[in-house]
Amino acid sequence: MAIVGENSDGHSQQRRRRRADKRGGIAAASNRPDLEWSRDGESIALRVFGDWQVRDVRRLAVTIRKLKFANRAGNGKSVFVDMAGLTALDTAGAMLLLDMKDHLSAQGYVVSLHKVREADEILFQLISRHPREKSEIVQKRSMVLSLIRDVGAVVVSLWRDVIEMTAMVGQVTVALLMLCIKPWRIRYTSLIHHLEHAGLKAVLIISLICFLIGAVIMQQSVEQLRAYSAEHFSIDMLGILALREVGVLLTSIMIAGRSGAAFTAEIGSMKMREEVDAMRALGIDPVETLIVPRVLAMLIALPLLTFIGDIMCLAGGAMIASQMLEIDLQSFMQRLNDGVEIRHFYVGLIKTPFVAVIIGIVGTLEGMRVRGSAESLGTHVRASVVKSIFLVIVLDAMFAIALTAIGI
Amino acid sequence: MVAVMKEDLSALIEVRHLSKRFGNQVVFEELNLDVYEGEVLGIVGQSGGGKSVLLRCLNGLERVDGGEIRFFGDDVAKMSGRAMRHVEASSGILFQDGALFSALTVLQNIQVPMREHISLPNNIMDELAYLKLSLVGLPANAAHKYPSELSGGMRKRAGLARALALDPKILFLDEPTAGLDPIGASEFDKLIGDLQATLGLTVFMVTHDLDSIFAICDRVAVLADRHIVRTGSPFEMARDPQHPWIKAYFCGARARAVLHGDGTTIEDDAEIRPQHPI
Repeated sequence: MAIVGENSDGHSQQRRRRRADKRGGIAAASNRPDLEWSRDGESIALRVFGDWQVRDVRRLAVTIRKLKFANRAGNGKSVFVDMAGLTALDTAGAMLLLDMKDHLSAQGYVVSLHKVREADEILFQLISRHPREKSEIVQKRSMVLSLIRDVGAVVVSLWRDVIEMTAMVGQVTVALLMLCIKPWRIRYTSLIHHLEHAGLKAVLIISLICFLIGAVIMQQSVEQLRAYSAEHFSIDMLGILALREVGVLLTSIMIAGRSGAAFTAEIGSMKMREEVDAMRALGIDPVETLIVPRVLAMLIALPLLTFIGDIMCLAGGAMIASQMLEIDLQSFMQRLNDGVEIRHFYVGLIKTPFVAVIIGIVGTLEGMRVRGSAESLGTHVRASVVKSIFLVIVLDAMFAIALTAIGI
Repeated sequence: MVAVMKEDLSALIEVRHLSKRFGNQVVFEELNLDVYEGEVLGIVGQSGGGKSVLLRCLNGLERVDGGEIRFFGDDVAKMSGRAMRHVEASSGILFQDGALFSALTVLQNIQVPMREHISLPNNIMDELAYLKLSLVGLPANAAHKYPSELSGGMRKRAGLARALALDPKILFLDEPTAGLDPIGASEFDKLIGDLQATLGLTVFMVTHDLDSIFAICDRVAVLADRHIVRTGSPFEMARDPQHPWIKAYFCGARARAVLHGDGTTIEDDAEIRPQHPI
């Protein structure tokens, strides 16, 4: 400390110097750390030298384990640890030396450290003040119990989904009825915005996939029915399939992935930043401002998109038909008109409002469930897409069974 | 005083003629800075003035447009991959909100650098991680928690434990006390001061917290007008500002409150040396 006194910037210089000797530049050659011992009459001399640092800890741990005398009972023998050769020490190295000391003491040796430099002494003291063992035991559940627990958790969360969705449907219905009475309270700006993003901007992608799927269905059915010389019936088949199922299903799944996820992300990020709470605090109803415009936009956009999807499906079929069946558009339309009743188109279209409500409600509900963190947002966006696609398909299946049963 | 330091202390990091641009916006021009071994260097400057960018440049997280950065005497730009890994392993960073990996528990977070840079037996890795956890003042039951279950102050402590995992020579701190309440902030200052003194760390700290500057910084570098306008002890800055921004910062009402909370006047400071908390 004497060197410090004369310096004008005393205490900081002192700290700088305290360990300066241990920390040579990074390029400086490191001294290989090691441990040697010899028997000296009744006592044991242990010499520590080199750089005891974290990068050599694995090897040093092995060296310590191999100390033969350390595994025998000490019976009060003395161990003198000579630290004179120690050139550098960090927390990991110091921890290892202290562990060794503790182990030797536990074996019944009397351990004493010699020639410890002042800076290393500070480090030893620091480390011996802090616990380094696991102070708590992590409980391990058995496989069977954790399986039962997981199944239970899933059932509970499913039940909660049902309840929350029912509640949300109720809230949205009430809000919609209110808006029927007071139509000037509809958020038109928001509604138009969502119509543009969920409706208009989806036209191209929906047209493209429906056109391609229509073409594929046509191509495959012509190929298969040709064996029975019934290839012209493939137009009837395409018509019924496209209008009843394919158009509406493809559109709904696409929109569930596209807009449902967007709804969850938008509302979820607002929820994360406490914007939704701010709205409530300012007396604005989040159901009316956030959820209703989105559900309403879905209700308007989905039937229109489904109609576009139906037409593009048929167009794809017509293109293939002109190639494989060699009939022109005029006769394709004629055939379609004769073979496919208009009720099939209505069956497809009647499903769209239900699907729209599912996508809108699931998307916004999952958004409202987002809590604080970004992981929560990711989890809920995924849940939103999976749930809405699943529910859309379940709904479609229920409609197919019910409508066929009553002969429509 | 600075001249004395330069003679008998080696610079761990030397920054020479550094320049950095984002598009047309010039962040640094002709920036020179030395970070000496064993000191706590505080970087202050206007918000948006590039303090954090400087920290990111030093850590290789931002590409620089000119000049050189030397770590331990070697130019970072010309370093081999092996030397670079060595530099990475001997510097630790604490980001503003800890930047803990959210999918890992606190214990696993602390062990990430250990797994990445060296191979250690599991029991020693656990022991070391629990030790670091205790060093930064976290209870052992925080080990198996996820970052989202911790408070802001605890996340910073956990981030510090991760930064200290490999016993770095130099510790970079980005606004270590931002977002902490005054009690938490002064505890964190004390923690950094204690660890710096006992582990012999060099600390490079970006901050705008006057309390931490006067409590733990040996030297302050002022970043203004796109370069370091002045370095020196915080008390020198307060006595003799020389630059309008330094005057506004070190002689403003808040600085006076920190300096003269005990009723002393600025003349008395000539006699007072910075008192380290320990």
